[in-house]
Amino acid sequence: MLHYDFEWSVLWRYPYGGMFIQGIWTTVHLSLFSWMIAILLGLTVCLCRMTPLRAARFLGGAYVELFRNIPLLVQLFFWYFAAPSLLPRELELWLYGNVKDLGYLVAVIALGTYTAARVSEAIRSGLLAVPRGQYRAAHSTGLSGGQTYRHVVLPYALRISWPLLTTEFLTCFKNSALAMTIGVLETTGTAAYVDSFTFHGLETTTAASCVYLATSGAVILTMSRIEKRMRIPGLIRRGYN
Amino acid sequence: MIQIRQVSLWYRDGRKVVDNVSAEIRRGQTVVICGPSGSGKSSLLRCINGLERFQEGEILVDGISVSSPSTDLHALRAEIGMVFQHFELYPHMTVLDNITLAPRKVRKKTRQEAETKAMELLNRVGIPDKAAVYPGELSGGQQQRVAIARSLAMEPKAMLFDEPTSALDPEMIKEVLDVMVDLARSGMTMVVVSHEMGFAREVADEVIFMDAGRFIEKKATASFFASAENPRTREFLSRILT
Repeated sequence: MLHYDFEWSVLWRYPYGGMFIQGIWTTVHLSLFSWMIAILLGLTVCLCRMTPLRAARFLGGAYVELFRNIPLLVQLFFWYFAAPSLLPRELELWLYGNVKDLGYLVAVIALGTYTAARVSEAIRSGLLAVPRGQYRAAHSTGLSGGQTYRHVVLPYALRISWPLLTTEFLTCFKNSALAMTIGVLETTGTAAYVDSFTFHGLETTTAASCVYLATSGAVILTMSRIEKRMRIPGLIRRGYN
Repeated sequence: MIQIRQVSLWYRDGRKVVDNVSAEIRRGQTVVICGPSGSGKSSLLRCINGLERFQEGEILVDGISVSSPSTDLHALRAEIGMVFQHFELYPHMTVLDNITLAPRKVRKKTRQEAETKAMELLNRVGIPDKAAVYPGELSGGQQQRVAIARSLAMEPKAMLFDEPTSALDPEMIKEVLDVMVDLARSGMTMVVVSHEMGFAREVADEVIFMDAGRFIEKKATASFFASAENPRTREFLSRILT
């Protein structure tokens, strides 16, 4: 028999309600900051991989393989527990003593650098899908390599990569839940935290799940709106969306 | 205007694509290069504006060596227009933006200057009403005419055409050829890779038949059609002139 008394009020009752709001807000800005790092760094890494410079290509490739092939959880632990001890002793102590939100900071960096590797690959797949004739046409009019990328190739490639980038954004947002393991009270962390006081984990995790579902839905809606906006008129496309 | 001196080109796999060819295209001349596919015509054409690197020989455009390391290739290419078999318009830009991109970014023209010039060119190629449309919404023939306008917008000293009508439906070939005939008659220096022998007859000064990377036949237009000597040229001509 099920012996469980539902008590949904733990979700809004003082002081838990405020905690949840705080947690959801943390999830939102944690993933947005990470995503910004991921986009900028990912684009840079990807462009490194496409240059004629061998050293840059090697570094770009090494970055991608290193960051996407180590579990995110391990990377989080590395940045949080191991990396500071590689710093000079004074700096390490200063870090622990003065940076109040060290866990948060580490989570943004770890999630951002990890997602960057995946974003880089998403953009690269778009770049590789741009026909060679487009480069030739741009070059034949005297545009430089940089101008060709900026005005012709990237705008085209980003449209191709867009659905992949949407997926990566969603993944980034959901991966932010791992930040609880280094003490960040985002949505999942808050759910567990409130559970530890109230023993109403069923309600708190259900609430967390709903938050993720709702936010993901909003992201998907926004991204597909932008996708439709950017759609190239007259270009053949498959599918019915 | 364009001097090609003993140029040879190999692909990475060791295949020789262009084999020791030489030609001179004078200012205002139109030269048509024909030949079976895979004979190196397009590769040779791409060598002229440095889109393809060749290993031997030399190409001079207006006295400037294409392969010299000290040459600013971007500046050189800005002076040579190129039209492609598959048009290669930028699909995410309107026709007008396609045409004005390079003049604005390379020639540093203002948007207004560039657009005035672009409209003039769209008039010239016969589709002034398509300025605001995207390439995907145009027919092949219209796209190719936009591509020609895009090249002309840079006010090039010479134009290269790489099978400009091969991807077009028969009824659209004429509208593109008409533009090209006009251009040739207006004194543009043109190198045209094409099988359109009617076009060659009408405006070419010289016709070259290329096979397996070599110039098999290279003659002034009238004598090319009247007295091609090489049996391969004659065979090729008999096949495409019906």
